[in-house]
Amino acid sequence: MNEQENKRLEELLETVQKPARYIGGEMNAVRKDWNGVRCTFGFCFADTYEIGMSHLGMKILYYLINQRPDALCERLFMPDADMADKMRDAGVPLFSLESRAALNEFDIIGFTLQYEMSYTNILEMLDLGRVPIRREDRSDQDTIVVAGGPCAFNPEPLAPFIDAFMIGDGEDVMHELIDVIRNGREAGLSRMDILKNLAKLEGVYVPALYDVEYNEDGTLKSFSPNDPAAPAKVKKRVVKDLSGAVYPEAIPVPYTEIVHDRMVLEIMRGCTRGCRFCQAGMLYRPVRERSMERLLELADKLQASTGYEEMSLSSLSSGDFTCLPQLIQALMDRYKDKRVSVSLPSMRIDNIVKQSLEETQQVKKSGLTLAPEAGTQRLRDVINKGVTEEDLIRSVTDAFECGWSTVKLYFMMGLPTETDEDLQGIGDLAKKVVDAFYRVPKEKRAKMGVKVTASASVFVPKPFTPFQWAAQDTIDMVHEKQAKLRQYLKLKNVNFNWHESELSMLEACVSRGDRRMGEVIYAAWKRGCRLDSWNEHFKFDQWMGAFQDCGLSPAFYAYRERPYDELLPWAFVDAGVSMDYLKKENEKAKRVETTRDCRHGCNGCGLNTWGVCDWVKNPPLKDKPQTAAPLAD
Amino acid sequence: MKMIVVFEKTPRLRHIGHLDLMRAMQRALRRSGLPLKYSQGFNPHILLTFAAPLSVGMPGKREIMEVPIEGEMTGEAFLEKLRPALPPELPCLWARPVDDRHSAPMAQLAAALYEAELDETPSGLSDAVTAFLAQEEIPALRKTKTGLKPCDIRPMIYDLSLNSGKLRMCLALCEKATCKPDLLLSSLFEFAKLPRPHAIVTRTQMFGKKDGAFYPLEEM
Ligand code: SF4
Repeated sequence: MNEQENKRLEELLETVQKPARYIGGEMNAVRKDWNGVRCTFGFCFADTYEIGMSHLGMKILYYLINQRPDALCERLFMPDADMADKMRDAGVPLFSLESRAALNEFDIIGFTLQYEMSYTNILEMLDLGRVPIRREDRSDQDTIVVAGGPCAFNPEPLAPFIDAFMIGDGEDVMHELIDVIRNGREAGLSRMDILKNLAKLEGVYVPALYDVEYNEDGTLKSFSPNDPAAPAKVKKRVVKDLSGAVYPEAIPVPYTEIVHDRMVLEIMRGCTRGCRFCQAGMLYRPVRERSMERLLELADKLQASTGYEEMSLSSLSSGDFTCLPQLIQALMDRYKDKRVSVSLPSMRIDNIVKQSLEETQQVKKSGLTLAPEAGTQRLRDVINKGVTEEDLIRSVTDAFECGWSTVKLYFMMGLPTETDEDLQGIGDLAKKVVDAFYRVPKEKRAKMGVKVTASASVFVPKPFTPFQWAAQDTIDMVHEKQAKLRQYLKLKNVNFNWHESELSMLEACVSRGDRRMGEVIYAAWKRGCRLDSWNEHFKFDQWMGAFQDCGLSPAFYAYRERPYDELLPWAFVDAGVSMDYLKKENEKAKRVETTRDCRHGCNGCGLNTWGVCDWVKNPPLKDKPQTAAPLAD
Repeated sequence: MKMIVVFEKTPRLRHIGHLDLMRAMQRALRRSGLPLKYSQGFNPHILLTFAAPLSVGMPGKREIMEVPIEGEMTGEAFLEKLRPALPPELPCLWARPVDDRHSAPMAQLAAALYEAELDETPSGLSDAVTAFLAQEEIPALRKTKTGLKPCDIRPMIYDLSLNSGKLRMCLALCEKATCKPDLLLSSLFEFAKLPRPHAIVTRTQMFGKKDGAFYPLEEM
């Protein structure tokens, strides 16, 4: 950014809301000399500072890239609407927080894709940052735009805008990607040649090198590479040894309050519970745990470098971490004097922990969050959520006895095979939780009484899950069910929250979209859509207009059940979990059959042929009885 | 004992609010490994007081906080520990140990010096400053909790001068009487019948008062 733009930005900051999120300068933000490095990486998060700064993946990669002496990484976030408009009016480009470099000054810019409904923000950021939005409009001099994260497993809806996708664990491929781009730039290679070199890396997908054809009915006819550099299948990258992997020892500590303002220890990656709706559970397989030794080392370093007063543990299912009670005990012992509180994952409180809880008050008694997901045992079996009502009641009773008094219950509506009985079950369950509170003796339970909040989100079928072929409920069906649920949840001490069904429908369209969905996203952005996941900015009508502009129907993407023999837009991605396994699971769901947690024995999900899953040969819970799934995390 | 610490809130951080700045300092102190004192209660926090909150949007060249610590320690030793725990945008500059009974900077605060960097200097401003100061009374409307109140700000202006595009203002800042630089600027430009230019106002120094004379607050 030049002198003048900088001056205009300073003036802008005096007139926008929450200017502190645009200034950077945090402790542990990395400031490197641009002249001292060979490659500059602009890390983009397609949501506001408060959300992006709470995100772990960004912190890992920011740290990893900045460890390289030859490269630097700076952060860019989506400005809020007032700021975006004012920047455009004043001619101030999207800029990095560290050195206020414009987006288009970076050699590489990388987006992390966390949520489909942030995709219009990507276009807005590219536009504000003066980077041609469509990849085919970019010249050899233009920055190279890459993307990764969970949503990259179906990259097609963003194929018109992103030069290369990284699929799988980002820290495994990032160095190779930077090397290829840096070397290519230094050798003066054309953009296309650099992209072809990228396509040779395992886990990298370069959409320009693939052609797509459609059938008359709109389904995919063929999807194939048009260049020898491009593989027919793109295999996800996997970090094999999590303890040996890079993990940040220092993270920027924001001045303003963000969503999760604390240090986070990622204790493991992956989950083997096998819930059939859960995309993360399939994408992040196999399960890899960090060693206790490494975790405690990281905890000490993070505590010393951030000064945070709170630490939380992160993973998809922390209750399953082999040494969880020991870890929590060790952390609490260490941090008692340092006045650091430890946020406990879910509710599998072991007795040891329960005792220290009472002793030290070192654990925050914030609300308790549980996710039974469905209201009846039958439906929980369909989705393979191995939780019984008994588990749930025992967990909340435990918590009530420790003084907890607010409970959030998460449910999904519109799950495959759902009936009215399942909706009634949600009401019953909420009622039983309230009753459990009043069964706890008065002197043991909290004085203020119990508060139960039941939230029902709308089920969104996702790629690489056993339900990837399923139809989503129509908006009308959802409204009808929400009305019923309101009835069933008209209970004392119970609140009911529901989600925008329109947003969930669009999420279903985009998450299982093909390359043409990119045109819908583009048209929606042209019609003024951005910050879609913020209620006050969501413009459903404009999205519907965008579908019309492109001659596509949302029903085709959201409401249609796919036959098994249909070519799916993401089928060229090899996520490790095989399509055959997903089909098998889908069939089992129809028969209301559950599948065991594979820590009791390998279920042959597909990763067993990759040589990356330790549990194929040595399942840690072999011959042990099955335990209830954690209720939440 | 207690440490009187001088730090700078650089222009880059001027949009950070008072509470956010307090939290940032708390965390910096926690990173420093210094022997701090904590409050009692369920959510213990480090005992720490600022001499005076700084408005959002205003940088501060010599801001002052008081940090109680366990045991004895020199100012240099304190700074050596705190310095690496602060980001370059929030440097600590000076520290001085004082007795626990030493009256808090907040209680001794009397005035502050501000510097307004004017984007442009309207011609005639210099004369206007002289005429403005020559008034015996300067009626203004002060914002209070109960709404706008008329008051005379002349006795709260200890000094006002214009020098190469910079307005220096020494204004009362204590519990009894405070004149905010913004109020002075609007009165001045209204009086001068000149358009008020955009300006970044920096608080450059705080003062205490002893025997009728002002001294830098950190040295009191
Ligand atoms: S390979 Fe076997 S043990 Fe490993 S995740 Fe898949 S099913 Fe589970």
